[in-house]
Amino acid sequence: MIRHLLHRFAEAALVLLVVSFLAFALIGLMPGDPIDLLVNADPNVTTADAERLKALYGLDRPLLDRYLAWLGGALQGNLGFSRLYAQPVGAVLTGPLLNTVLLMGLSLVLGLVVAVPLALLAVRRPHGVLDLVVNAGAFAGLSLPSFWLPLLLILLFAVTLGWLPAGGVHAVGDPSLASRVTHLVLPVLTLTVLNAGVYLRFTRGALLEVVAEDFMRTARAKGLGLGAALVRHALPNALLPLTTVVALHLGTLLSGALVVEVIFAYRGLGKLTYDAILGNDANLAMAVLMMATALTLACNVLADAVYGWLDPRVRFDG
Amino acid sequence: MAEAQAVATVRPSVVAGTAGAVLASLAALCVVGPWLAAALGIDGTSVDLFNRLAPPNGAHWLGTDELGRDYLVRVLEGGRVSLVVGLAGALTAAVIGALIGIVSGYAGGRVDAALMRLTDAVIALPLLPLLLIVAAVDLSAWGVRASGVNDVLRIVVIVALFGWPTVARVTRSAVLSVRRRTYVLAAEALGAPAPHVLRRHVLPNVAGPILVAATLGIGNVILAESVLSFLGLGVQPPTASWGNLLTDAQTTLVHAPRLALVPGALIFTAVLAFNVLGDGLQGMLDRRR
Amino acid sequence: MRFLVLVCSLAVGALGAAVSASAQETLRIGASQFPSTMHPSIDEMLAKTYVQSMTLRPFTGYGHDWELRCFLCTELPTFENGGAERVERPDGSVGVRVTYEIHPDATWGDGVPVTSDDVVFAWEFGKHPQSGVVSREVYTDIRDIEVIDAKTFTLELEDLEYNYNAINDLQPLPAHLERPIFEADPANYRNATLFDTAPATPGLAFGPYRVSEVEIGSYLVLERNPTWYGVTPAFDRIIVQVVENTAALEANLLSGSVDMIAGEVGLPLEQALAFEERHGDRFQVTYEPGLVYEHLEANLDNPILADRRVREALLLAIDRQAVSDQLFAGRQQVAASRVNPLDWVHEPDVPTYERDVERAQALLEEAGWRPRPDGVRVNDAGERLSFEFATTAGNRSRELVQQFIQAQWAEVGVEALVRNLPPRVFFGDYTNRRQFPGIAMFAWISAPEHLPKTTLHSSMIPSPNNGWTGQNYTGYADPEMDALIEAMEVEFDAERRAELWSRLQKLYARELPALPLFFRSNAHIWPTWLEGVRPTGHMDLSTLWVEEWRPAEPGR
Repeated sequence: MIRHLLHRFAEAALVLLVVSFLAFALIGLMPGDPIDLLVNADPNVTTADAERLKALYGLDRPLLDRYLAWLGGALQGNLGFSRLYAQPVGAVLTGPLLNTVLLMGLSLVLGLVVAVPLALLAVRRPHGVLDLVVNAGAFAGLSLPSFWLPLLLILLFAVTLGWLPAGGVHAVGDPSLASRVTHLVLPVLTLTVLNAGVYLRFTRGALLEVVAEDFMRTARAKGLGLGAALVRHALPNALLPLTTVVALHLGTLLSGALVVEVIFAYRGLGKLTYDAILGNDANLAMAVLMMATALTLACNVLADAVYGWLDPRVRFDG
Repeated sequence: MAEAQAVATVRPSVVAGTAGAVLASLAALCVVGPWLAAALGIDGTSVDLFNRLAPPNGAHWLGTDELGRDYLVRVLEGGRVSLVVGLAGALTAAVIGALIGIVSGYAGGRVDAALMRLTDAVIALPLLPLLLIVAAVDLSAWGVRASGVNDVLRIVVIVALFGWPTVARVTRSAVLSVRRRTYVLAAEALGAPAPHVLRRHVLPNVAGPILVAATLGIGNVILAESVLSFLGLGVQPPTASWGNLLTDAQTTLVHAPRLALVPGALIFTAVLAFNVLGDGLQGMLDRRR
Repeated sequence: MRFLVLVCSLAVGALGAAVSASAQETLRIGASQFPSTMHPSIDEMLAKTYVQSMTLRPFTGYGHDWELRCFLCTELPTFENGGAERVERPDGSVGVRVTYEIHPDATWGDGVPVTSDDVVFAWEFGKHPQSGVVSREVYTDIRDIEVIDAKTFTLELEDLEYNYNAINDLQPLPAHLERPIFEADPANYRNATLFDTAPATPGLAFGPYRVSEVEIGSYLVLERNPTWYGVTPAFDRIIVQVVENTAALEANLLSGSVDMIAGEVGLPLEQALAFEERHGDRFQVTYEPGLVYEHLEANLDNPILADRRVREALLLAIDRQAVSDQLFAGRQQVAASRVNPLDWVHEPDVPTYERDVERAQALLEEAGWRPRPDGVRVNDAGERLSFEFATTAGNRSRELVQQFIQAQWAEVGVEALVRNLPPRVFFGDYTNRRQFPGIAMFAWISAPEHLPKTTLHSSMIPSPNNGWTGQNYTGYADPEMDALIEAMEVEFDAERRAELWSRLQKLYARELPALPLFFRSNAHIWPTWLEGVRPTGHMDLSTLWVEEWRPAEPGR
């Protein structure tokens, strides 16, 4: 088991290395570089200025050299300077990291709180009216464009009703808890709806499979009510696939909210990723990308391990 | 109670049929609509600054956009692009995925292990940030001119690049289960060449799961295209797509919300229909077994 | 329950906004851009200039009348007052020596006076190849600095040009704080400067305000600087809050969390117009036409566009007035040439090319382009009147105008193939190595009476031969234009220079090396209770006069 885990982690590290090179190369292939942007419409910047600045920022060196330099630094914990913020990358990351964890954590928990009870209610009568409604709801959640729902919510709650702010982390100059909470409502609501769709579908599917199994019939025969049988016997069994889904979802914690963060101007890692890529801030983009990739890979390994641990039927032979 | 019983008898084929019908009519509208409009003298490119953001009326059923263009025609033209990208992207992903899945499942051993590790790795990547980076790469460095058609091709390639693993996994497990069947084993034992076995026995049996996975993939591709376009890295104006129509609508959200409502609702409908269709097909497949 | 709490806290928030207008100790400004660095000389960025105009002052700059004036210096040196002196060197070159006196009371926030040494340090830093300044020309043009005393210094400039006494970009730096950091490691200075590592250091400012707190990407707090030598500003604190999403920025203004929106880094014009329509009674909305010149550049190596008649026809086919009226409510002025009407050298008497479809068609016929059934004209060689038409992707307003132009050109049989590129591609090789094959749409930002040498002189056509120097992207080469520019550079008599400017504008409007579109306007929004905000329209921003901003007298 431990050997297997170590093996998987080593594999994940290799994937991370490959992705880091590919991402670095792709960012290098992104057209123009920060210096070309400076020339943007300023008649006083000469080409000589541009070349001097490129040399200064090391942009005139071959891609591989730059990658190796970056990798060397990154392995020693030096992620370089963010061009967009003129600060060490680490200093830029901390605030947004916390914001994202808060946003994603809340919506993950709320998604489960909505999905699991609904799924339990639905499978009391498989293919009944409630089940049909719940299933339709799950499909809707799965199919909603992640950028459209926020627009609808903004239109309703911020523009028409004026109840909630349309964006930001907290009101200007007011970092109080109340202000933070009001700004979290709409993004959390959006992500909860999107997450709940996925969870609902998985929980329902898993529950339906369990319900059909023999031990459920035994439990019912022993006189246990349907609800009690579901909660006591079916749910623990259905939790297995759900845990896997949640663990995999946890992996998208850092990058999954990108669109929602961009629309709500919520300063989290997703928005930072977007700004860094569009603003050609290579160091910052690499840092957020690697963090997101590492977390996704780690959660995959974790999901694997949890599965093996919870389900004695699975044996590892790696 | 009687109702519940009635509902319980809804067959997957009916569900799939309904979804298919919705999609067919949507596609027909998008293909025929702009032609019809052109025949009626309305085209989506003629601008009229004196008729900007007009509310829906007899001449313009969905009103006009910021440049006074007929919004219905714009939306239908956008639908063409979005649906074409969805179908082409999912198809490309399905072809790549099916090939890898069949090779992996049929060859087994080291090849299988290597391909499946690759599949796992691609599935485990953070999709959206990587999509953004790939989409931001400048193709003109390799002499690819930006144009509406190239834009669409570019997006198709990008989404296919990340979309194939699901199909590959499904195909592989289907191939594995087929291979264990006695008639396949018998055919192999009788010395039938691999291509023959693949064509005669394996392909017909894995076609169903591939079809289901591909159908479910279309919805995701449409979402991916619209997200990229929405973030400004997908299809570029003046070529319309449902995604970039929504981007534009953001700025007029307050005074002309319909510009945001319509394309969003269409993306939602199309994706929902593809998901329901895929699920229905899956149900039919399960019943057949 | 949670929802109730939310509603209550919102109500309280609204109340708070209503109250805050009466007790004005703090002014909250909303902006749409956060400065990437706070160092005055590294990276040019509008948001930084906006903030720094409150914490620092340039030696010289342009006033509301668009005339050059002193901010940090006491008097503009001229030949007449003896502050400037012509230098003829043995090698035959001609330079100039200009003497400035720093305001006697100018003092950094930590009590150290602003001295000539700060100027010398700024110069040494700027001309250092590893400094990271964007444009080194400002510093390399200075041959030598002679320190006369702590408050007086003389610059010897390499060349003598008409604007010899404008040193707007030579920003003095606090040598007592920054020199040790720079000298320790010049290459790393841009990462180690106190402006970014400790921006709240008092000694980094000598203006009416100094930075007291920075939250990266979100806000900056400015406090009154006790060492400021000018009029005491009315507000104790100014908070510059950055909300990049302009829709959210607008919402913040409406909810009262910001008092005003910076005109220079605020809402796009279209959004401000819609805003004024709905909330104009609660705010003052002022539109200031500026020096941002939106235009179409044609690559003159393209045989279709090399023909002046075709360019004129293209311009005549566009109803620029309708765009201005309908898209921008008349707030965005149609340009006749590249000189803004507010500039004193502006020449009103030039050809203006109002929309005239018939004339456009006649010109195209004359140039050999005949209509075809498919709508696109062809010439005798069978070539189609078709070219690529590019602009910066993501600039909503440009994209709208572009699609409008495309449609209007289609009406006269011209096919423009739209190709939009992200700014970093567009301003990369595509324009600055002249790779655009057809027409590129973008804007130049310049100073008042800015000599368009880099964009119009034939020596400034970027090519491998000149190391891709210059911004004459169209490839316009006209001996008459070259001669005019060269004459203007060394013409010190304002009247004679105005005459040359007039000829330049007429030539430009006649030859149309580029097709003029508009001068962009900024929309300034401030509350009705605020007085003294005066937009300038040029690159010296309204915050250079922030000490004049004050709440209106009660009862008015």
